[in-house]
Amino acid sequence: MTLNIENVEKQYKILATGTLINALNGISISLEEGQTLGIVGESGCGKSTLARVVSGLEKATVGKVRWQGNQIADKAKNHLRPTRSRVQLVFQDPYSSLDPRQQIGAAISEVLTVHKLVVGSRVAARVEELLSIVGLTTDLRHRYPHQLSGGQRQRVSIARALASEPDLLILDEPVSALDVSVRAEVMNLLIDLRAKFGLTYIFISHDLAMVRYISDVIAVMYLGKIVEFGSWDQIIERPMHPYTRALIAAMPDHSIIGNPETLAKTLQGEVPDPAHLPTGCAFHARCPIAVPVCTTRLPILLEVTPKHYVACPEVGE
Amino acid sequence: MSKPPALLSVENLAISTVQDPRILINDVTFEIHEGEAVGVVGESGSGKTLTALSVLGLLPRGVAVTEGAIKYNGVDLNSLQSEKMRRLRGSEISMVYQDPMTALNPVMKLGKQLLEVIESHEEIKSNSDERVRAALREVGIPDVVRAMESYPHEFSGGMRQRVMIAMALILSPKLLIADEPTTALDVTIQQQILSLVAEERRKRNMSMLWITHDLGVVANLVDRLIVMYAGRIVESGTVKEIFTDPQHPYTYGLLASLPTTADRDRRRLTSIAGVPQKPWLVGESCSFAPRCFKVQPECKSSIPQLVGRLEKSVACFHPVGSPL
Repeated sequence: MTLNIENVEKQYKILATGTLINALNGISISLEEGQTLGIVGESGCGKSTLARVVSGLEKATVGKVRWQGNQIADKAKNHLRPTRSRVQLVFQDPYSSLDPRQQIGAAISEVLTVHKLVVGSRVAARVEELLSIVGLTTDLRHRYPHQLSGGQRQRVSIARALASEPDLLILDEPVSALDVSVRAEVMNLLIDLRAKFGLTYIFISHDLAMVRYISDVIAVMYLGKIVEFGSWDQIIERPMHPYTRALIAAMPDHSIIGNPETLAKTLQGEVPDPAHLPTGCAFHARCPIAVPVCTTRLPILLEVTPKHYVACPEVGE
Repeated sequence: MSKPPALLSVENLAISTVQDPRILINDVTFEIHEGEAVGVVGESGSGKTLTALSVLGLLPRGVAVTEGAIKYNGVDLNSLQSEKMRRLRGSEISMVYQDPMTALNPVMKLGKQLLEVIESHEEIKSNSDERVRAALREVGIPDVVRAMESYPHEFSGGMRQRVMIAMALILSPKLLIADEPTTALDVTIQQQILSLVAEERRKRNMSMLWITHDLGVVANLVDRLIVMYAGRIVESGTVKEIFTDPQHPYTYGLLASLPTTADRDRRRLTSIAGVPQKPWLVGESCSFAPRCFKVQPECKSSIPQLVGRLEKSVACFHPVGSPL
């Protein structure tokens, strides 16, 4: 196993009230090198927090994240930067992650010089190389972010992430802000890069259609916990947790058309406030198959069939 | 038998900026009949939102209708006095916006905001409170008495959108215009809102104009679709026609670029290279020509017009089904 997320918990404190929020609650995932892990869930489920913890931007309250046996450094505290960062993060909105007053060539060369990745005389050539890797022409290096299209900006973010030759790329909603016709191009680019450089991906999205498209294994999160984890086939073809099933049913699907009844099959209620979690299973109030004991019993993520984990005692054998 | 006149008819609509005139929308023509739901699909900058706003006379400052007519029940809305237009908004045509947090007043209780809608349109204010409660109950707000005393920030995104819908429906309009009202919502909540709107539309036999960038959202919600690209309609047809037999290369590419349930083999997604042109920079050519896989010389020297019936038409010299 290459990536090991071991029983990670992350708590935040609301300063005004002192309330503790468990953004992540006992997350454990193992991932093989070269695989793509898809993480899907709605707002507040903790998927972005997990991205920040795995990338080392934030420290887990409890638990460890190991990459090839080494614990991932805490970037927030560690001033002695490692020479090269093996784990990189790409954010949803390249407009806010790129400096609006920095030309994109400089944004990429900055990574190279700060981490001393190439000698000074090679920097310009490497910037051009990185731009062409992500499908941008080298004459764009003197442009500012606002002079690029959304798709081009996201390509720059990817080039910047690739500058340090990472092994693991964490993609947090990388195509959600893009227009539909541009999304497909960026998705294709990610698939090409994965093959070309043997990259391991963690692909995070609220959009199950995109997760389904790119992932080998999929984790479904709800309120800080994994409710189901398994291979592509297991999650997409044989989903077991009622929440996973609801997500799949709610996917806008243009292969079914002109049938208003399909809209009616949906979950009732909303995601509860993470600061006031319900007792028992956090999903019980919205669950179509809930039984009285769900309000008190904490579901445990159990291996229902080989390598298919489900946190619901009411499904399966 | 001739068709009854349309509830809304937009004819050759053109919209541009006032200063340094830049054309934003050109030659947009479509109709909505009573009880009919029409979806407008397009990406950012395609002009779909401006089209919707122009119907209500709510174009942003600096942008104006330069050509064409917008007729509601035969009355040209462009020439309507602002007071008459104001009365029409909400009672005949109402709108639901993408972000209820910017459309609702953050410092006014929700009950008061809904009462205002009634009071600004009706002289006689009989049992307004009860009507507000009924409207909120109708859209699935649990504790309506408490909701009326709440401020928008006390509600979740999904609940705020329900309040917006209650507000839009409270005077029983004949036409509801929705501008991506579910885009900012989580998928399961999006599904709830779509289901609610479909149900209300059926009960009231209300017409709808639904703006979206997401073809999946409208697949089961509307009767007909209009596809916009760079300020023009490039194709229109029934939902079934558009989804199963797209004729414009842009529509075709848009549909092919979506990953589907059938994607077991994980093919590469079909993508459309390049980015949309700005409508004012297109000139005498097809705006999609630079990105089109069927482009021919004439596509770069003249503008293709919408050809076909009003219901089923395509603006393309070499539609997908035609031989090259």
